Amino acid sequence: MRPFTYTRAKDATSAIKLLAENPNAKFLAGGTNLLDLMKEDVERPNALIDISELGLTDIKTVTSGANKGGLSIGGLGKNTYAANHPLVRQNYPLLTQAILAGASGQLRNMATNGGNLLQRTRCPYFYEVSMPCNKRQSGSGCGAKEGINRMHAIFGWSEQCVAVYPSDMAVALAALDAVIKVRSTSGQERSIPIAEFHRLPGDQPEKDTNLLHGELITSIELPQNRFADKSYYLKVRDRASYAFALVSVAAALETQGNKIVQARIAMGGVAHKPWRALKAEQMLVGKDATDANFKLAADAEMADAKPLEHNKFKIELGNRSIVLALQMAMKVGKA
Amino acid sequence: MKDTNKTIGTPISRIDGIAKVTGKAAYSMDHPVKNPAYAILFKSTVAAGTIRDIDSAAAEKAPGVLGVITHKNVSKLNVKGGLRGGALLQSPEIEFYGQNIGIVVAETFEQARYASRLINVTYDKKEPKVDFNKVADQARLPKDKEKADAIRGDVQTALSQATHKVEEVYETPIEHHHPLEPHAAIAEWNGDNVTLYSSAQIVNGAQSAAAATLNLKPEQVRIVSPYIGGGFGSKGGQWANLALAAVAAKHVNRPVKLALTRQQMVNSVGMRQHNRQKVSLAATSDGKLTALAHETTTHCAINDEFVEPCGDCSKIMYDTPNSLITYRVVPMNLILPTYTRGPGKSTGSFALESAIDELAYKLKMDPIEFRIKNEPERDPSNGKPWSSRTTVQCLREGAKAFGWEKRKLEPRQNERGNYWIGYGVSAGTYPAHQRPTSALVKLKRNGEDVTATVELAAADLGTGTYTILTQTAADALGLPIQNVTVNLGDSNLPPAAGAVGSVGAASYANAVNDACEKITQELMTKSGKQYYVRPTAAQLMRSEKLIDYQTRVDSKPPESAEEYSAHSFNANFAEVAVNKSTGMIRVNRFLAVTGAGQILNPKTARSQIIGGNVWGIGMALTEESVVDPRWGNFVTRSFADYHVPSNLDIGTMEAIFIKEKDEHVNTLGVKGIGEVGIVGVAAAVVNAISNATGKRVRDLPITPDKVL
Ligand SMILES: Cc1cc2nc3c(=O)[nH]c(=O)nc-3n(C[C@H](O)[C@H](O)[C@H](O)COP(=O)(O)OP(=O)(O)OC[C@H]3O[C@@H](n4cnc5c(N)ncnc54)[C@H](O)[C@@H]3O)c2cc1C
Repeated sequence: MRPFTYTRAKDATSAIKLLAENPNAKFLAGGTNLLDLMKEDVERPNALIDISELGLTDIKTVTSGANKGGLSIGGLGKNTYAANHPLVRQNYPLLTQAILAGASGQLRNMATNGGNLLQRTRCPYFYEVSMPCNKRQSGSGCGAKEGINRMHAIFGWSEQCVAVYPSDMAVALAALDAVIKVRSTSGQERSIPIAEFHRLPGDQPEKDTNLLHGELITSIELPQNRFADKSYYLKVRDRASYAFALVSVAAALETQGNKIVQARIAMGGVAHKPWRALKAEQMLVGKDATDANFKLAADAEMADAKPLEHNKFKIELGNRSIVLALQMAMKVGKA
Repeated sequence: MKDTNKTIGTPISRIDGIAKVTGKAAYSMDHPVKNPAYAILFKSTVAAGTIRDIDSAAAEKAPGVLGVITHKNVSKLNVKGGLRGGALLQSPEIEFYGQNIGIVVAETFEQARYASRLINVTYDKKEPKVDFNKVADQARLPKDKEKADAIRGDVQTALSQATHKVEEVYETPIEHHHPLEPHAAIAEWNGDNVTLYSSAQIVNGAQSAAAATLNLKPEQVRIVSPYIGGGFGSKGGQWANLALAAVAAKHVNRPVKLALTRQQMVNSVGMRQHNRQKVSLAATSDGKLTALAHETTTHCAINDEFVEPCGDCSKIMYDTPNSLITYRVVPMNLILPTYTRGPGKSTGSFALESAIDELAYKLKMDPIEFRIKNEPERDPSNGKPWSSRTTVQCLREGAKAFGWEKRKLEPRQNERGNYWIGYGVSAGTYPAHQRPTSALVKLKRNGEDVTATVELAAADLGTGTYTILTQTAADALGLPIQNVTVNLGDSNLPPAAGAVGSVGAASYANAVNDACEKITQELMTKSGKQYYVRPTAAQLMRSEKLIDYQTRVDSKPPESAEEYSAHSFNANFAEVAVNKSTGMIRVNRFLAVTGAGQILNPKTARSQIIGGNVWGIGMALTEESVVDPRWGNFVTRSFADYHVPSNLDIGTMEAIFIKEKDEHVNTLGVKGIGEVGIVGVAAAVVNAISNATGKRVRDLPITPDKVL
């Protein structure tokens, strides 16, 4: 690790100020991602601002604003707490399933909701500093594009970067149209819809998100919805737990009789951000919830996929996973 | 005080268990030394070429740094001293990516690691040979005589005449041992002598290799290794890090702690190599094998050779008039491969036992009956009688216990919801040897209370060696186990075989038993009395009113052992469920039936077997070390990428031991279980997947994408 200073912030205002003053400073939440990256010399902050004692951990019903009646989840709360909170389990079981599909019990006990959103890619070329990686070192090239890219993107990648974003939680948040609340030095809060929070790599793969330096994630808001009875998070991976997704699908349906009123589908493990399967969703609205329609929707979404040398299987797997997640949503429901 | 009941064969818990779970057991880095400095290795970032320059000026000025050692200032070491894998900083030549090129020593580990990142290395690069697929056709005959072509009869003719045959290629990837305790050493010099606290599967081997490399006499080096946090072969032969810890300690004139990081483990301490195995089988229509060929192509290091004996099982498992076992190997710019659990047999049995299963389908025969039909009466490779052979018993008892009759002969006949269910079976074997081992037994009496201390430079890998030797000594001396202390893992103790190749239990337990027999005999002679009922050593200490008595034995295998072919045998049964949509596979149930002679402790033995089974499941489904084919670096460098099975991957595990008494193998009738536990496992899982889905995958690991 490179030498760094460590400050334990007392409140959000001073934490934000300390960070904003130093372009090389970073917030430290659970540390489960940042510290690993520092040990490998990938992240090189010269100052850590520990935000673990700021509070901002509550989970409560939103009482005003656009998401009134929805749920507010503290940005600094632990993943384990969020996954198991009764309001989450009852009203947003998709989120419970997605969080519990990630990492391990020990990691989730440390990991925070804000830190989870900002976890960085698991691309092995990003992780090893002797390898080329435009995300880590702008202009050094992409090791994965012509290299070992079985785990990499099939949607939205660029010549600069083919990495995928690893969070499971965020895939459910994308399906649930979450809003990320952030606070900056001015003390003002700004709301970023989840769809605009993470970015595609384009020419700036070093930028994972549209969060600005100095902004603190204070909470995540979930709008009210009627998906709680019909949702499912499917994660396909190389082993049963403690592995990142090859492909994952968060599926949520609202039905009247067998007719689909609303559909939400987001995919993980396929792009540089949670991939909202809008084409598939559009195909489903107004249709009957049948296997044949699920398949048509999956075909429509996967038709745009552009695989790399080692990840061609993700097209077929993605297709089947969309269908299965929708089937399971119809069958299983609550977490 | 009356004699205690026998404890051999009873499932007593590990005597070192409490020390381990409470953190009292000292592993390599835990030994207290005064004022240690910390060293870290730094490594090449090219796979082939020559170091042009190493600029360490900034590192040397970094906080806490005590020294930087590279090929430019390292002391002369003997590269042929017996440490494996080279990388001793003796030249600027680079032979693989991640080769050690220097050491930084500092006051703290963090300072050392930080400074190592300030070092700037330039290279004259060469095109590396790192893509096995590109160079496999350059493979040549190994230098190792054991790997010469073994030909019996005429396989080609038999194959060409056969109506039923299988000719397929089976691939197993590079794997790493990844013991939970990474390789680490503390080096502490005292004048010209050095103590190395470092976990070693072969204590005396580590001592002689470290000594020869450091240009010292063996007695100038002491290895202290009371506990080992796993080794699986990677701590059998020792690697450069052991000697480099001593070099660093000398350089800074202080004790030095040198541990590898998890990421460094992939190119520091060996690996299991990628094996490409072609297996050809031919049989008559009633299922009699007429030919078996097992041809392995693999890779080794640029300047050193190691080839896994993948054809070993094929040499002895089945009776066939025509047999061919060959090896070809190509040097590559990758670290030297080495022994890895069930060396050759685990990977080789995957190929052989998959092919047997494939042929059984073609013959429309039950694969168990097919195997039994080709059971050899004697060892086909040398004509010797078996000391005992339990393959048929393992298969029959296993089939009954597992409910094999529920297996469908045709694939895709068994479904449960969205899952295909399948059953698979395999058979396996591993040789049983006893190696020369010495042991010292010391008896002490205090009133009626007799206690014993047993000492030998044996290794406990975490497998239960302390426990079984305590049992062996207690029974042989007539003492309760709490009166017996066993000391292991120190080269100052009487020399012992290594905990490798499944020779540990047989070598150590027989040596301890011999020592206890000898001490009893000596005490009887000393008493000058005639005995009608043989007294125990404990009774003799009391009757002869002795306070202290000790004896040492240099134990060897019985000469008659050479007349027999001695092996452990097993049969493995797997039930898998394959998700029809996603291809995710789960092993619902696994049963291993093992014939390994006398089982000293069924509890530690079961742990050994299911541990091997779990790794075998990992071999079948999850484990793979992936090399970038352009640059030769491993892209799977942590447990996030190198997937060992998690708890959730493992269903119900069951282990059954065949009750047998092998009269020929050694005095106690003990055969090894450490290696055989992984042999055949991958094949049983793969065969079950094939039975479930109708899909035959010949390329491990079987990740979901391969069964879609
Ligand atoms: C072996 C392993 C396996 C894993 N498997 C999975 C998996 O399968 N699925 C999955 O989804 N995840 C997985 N994870 C990742 C894990 O979920 C993340 O490491 C964790 O969520 C990060 O949270 P943290 O609080 O520890 O973040 P930290 O490491 O503390 O921070 C991460 C980043 O977020 C920034 N940050 C943190 N909080 C805030 C905030 N409130 N405002 C602004 N910036 C902030 C930090 O500055 C830092 O840059 C795995 C991790 C490991 C180590």
